[in-house]
Amino acid sequence: MTGDRDGGRRPEGSAGTLERWAAILGGTALGFAGARRGSWALAALGGGLFLAGAAGVPLSSPLRQVALPAVRREPTTTQANVTIAVPAEKLFRHWRNVRHLAALFPHLDAVEILSDTESRWKAHGPGGVPVVWNSRLDKVRENELITWHTLEGADLPHRGTVLFRPAPGGRGTEVSLTLAYHPPGGAGGNAVSRLFGAAPEQQAREALRRLKRIMEVGELPTIEGQPSGRAERGRVTAKLREVTG
Amino acid sequence: MRALCWNGVNDLRVERVPDPTILAPQDAIIKVSLSSVCGSDLHLIGGYVPTMRAGDIIGHEFLGEVVEKGPEVTRLNRGDRVITVSIIGCGKCWHCEHEEFSLCDNSNPQPAFEEMAYGHCTAGIFGYSHAFGGYAGSHAEYIRVPFADTNCFRVPEGVTDEQAVFVSDAVPTGYMAADMGAIKPGDVVAVWGCGGVGQMAMKSAFLMGAERVIGIDRFPDRLRAAQMKAGAETLDYSRVDIYDALLAMTGGRGPDVCIDAVGMEADSGAPSIKGLAIEDLYDRGKQALRLESDRPAVLRQMIQCCRKGGTLSIVGVYGGLIDKFPMGAAMNKALTFRMGQQHGQRYVKRLFEHIEKGELDPAYLLTHKWALDDAPQGYRMFKEKADDCMRVVFAP
Ligand SMILES: [Zn+2]
Ligand SMILES: [Zn+2]
Repeated sequence: MTGDRDGGRRPEGSAGTLERWAAILGGTALGFAGARRGSWALAALGGGLFLAGAAGVPLSSPLRQVALPAVRREPTTTQANVTIAVPAEKLFRHWRNVRHLAALFPHLDAVEILSDTESRWKAHGPGGVPVVWNSRLDKVRENELITWHTLEGADLPHRGTVLFRPAPGGRGTEVSLTLAYHPPGGAGGNAVSRLFGAAPEQQAREALRRLKRIMEVGELPTIEGQPSGRAERGRVTAKLREVTG
Repeated sequence: MRALCWNGVNDLRVERVPDPTILAPQDAIIKVSLSSVCGSDLHLIGGYVPTMRAGDIIGHEFLGEVVEKGPEVTRLNRGDRVITVSIIGCGKCWHCEHEEFSLCDNSNPQPAFEEMAYGHCTAGIFGYSHAFGGYAGSHAEYIRVPFADTNCFRVPEGVTDEQAVFVSDAVPTGYMAADMGAIKPGDVVAVWGCGGVGQMAMKSAFLMGAERVIGIDRFPDRLRAAQMKAGAETLDYSRVDIYDALLAMTGGRGPDVCIDAVGMEADSGAPSIKGLAIEDLYDRGKQALRLESDRPAVLRQMIQCCRKGGTLSIVGVYGGLIDKFPMGAAMNKALTFRMGQQHGQRYVKRLFEHIEKGELDPAYLLTHKWALDDAPQGYRMFKEKADDCMRVVFAP
């Protein structure tokens, strides 16, 4: 997902580089994993991915058709984990100020604090579809844990838990984020897929990664806006299109 | 500005691109005065790393002058003559604090590729494909450096530009290769590959107390440089069987430390498997079909040749998967494997001291100095190793 963030276009009909890379390398890993678990179906899928990746075949659409219906039938619970080289108190305080969370989820537009335990969230899905929900804190244990759930009428009904525990060896704090969405099929499921596409687990992981980077280095690394030979070429092809089209 | 862009396999062009700007508070902009080719760039140019995109600016070994800095850069000033370590550290994560800069948690803005392929993401690298962050490289008039306080180092007065430029990449990589070998006085060290990194590994091995260093390559000029400049004995793998030769030179023991300064596009060369170069055909065939991403000829040789209980130190670059890895030999011979992209920031100060004391002079790696406009030809020459080319350095 992040691979295409800086505005490049991939050639029509060929797999994106991320998919190819993952298929070439991950395909084999999956193959091994499948063989190890005695699941030859999985092993074969791994092998197939490997070959598809090797040939640069576009995978995403057939793969989505095969893989996603199965995924969608499951209740959506997702967990992400990260170790941050910062004491738990600091992370807890940062998370407790829910306004900070907008920087962790790029889909979030605003977080409004209604009371000590309630807040109102505004986000947008792909194409700018507005998604709104109210959230209430359930349990708050100082420097350890924060849990919350959304209130009646939420566009994105879910429960969430963030857990902080000291990492061994002075490595800082282990942070776990768990999000449980209402089983898909209902309004909740639609909102989840609207908001996150097919990968809420990736969203959760990236949120924790952003938290880590903000807390450890105070900025998010970026290549957005850096020079490349693409910008110029893009402009030239656009101009050519104008002339010929 | 002008920059050397990768446009596809073996398609490099110098193009006009926008100037880089400060994108984050810890960035600096460096006006590049020298930027060197590196053997690992050849893997990118050849299309062996699948996350290159047309238009990417390559190059990761450079020297220049600070011309602009973000508000949070405190250790650098405009006008400073600096080198930048090719592998980017954030300076603050657990790995950076333990001087494992190439394992930085935070400097790669596109971690998804590596997480999927490797399980975890490692540091960003300048001009080194999108798996390693997609940062624009140094074969350009200007380059943006993130986390500049961690990654830029002022060059001491007594060190020349031609010496300093290689402290970005070739010197620390070679030095780290020797360092990972944990060389003890009296050790015999064999170095596969007599290019820039291999040469520096040989020099460093001596600095760390090696008694004998053996350089392995097939290009006469590189073997000559290994002998004359790095003080190594040499073996031409296209003429001798490396296993027989190394055992003959070490009383049948094998080298104590074996260093791989070649990486994924290795040739097995002469009949290292008796009679036929089957190994080469096998690896090249599988690599061409993308069924194996890397050719491990050097690794296999090192495992075979290394003394029992010895150490393999790997700084040659590998991207993905290799086949027919002699794990049985490695396990039963109780070999130690150390490897990694260089943690240059750990070594720069020490390296400048060695250079100032005259104990190490990397300037001889620079065999050709060309204008940036000639960079595509420069790479062709470097790839074909024509005109005794060790390293071409571009001066924009
Ligand atoms: Zn390099
Ligand atoms: Zn770091």
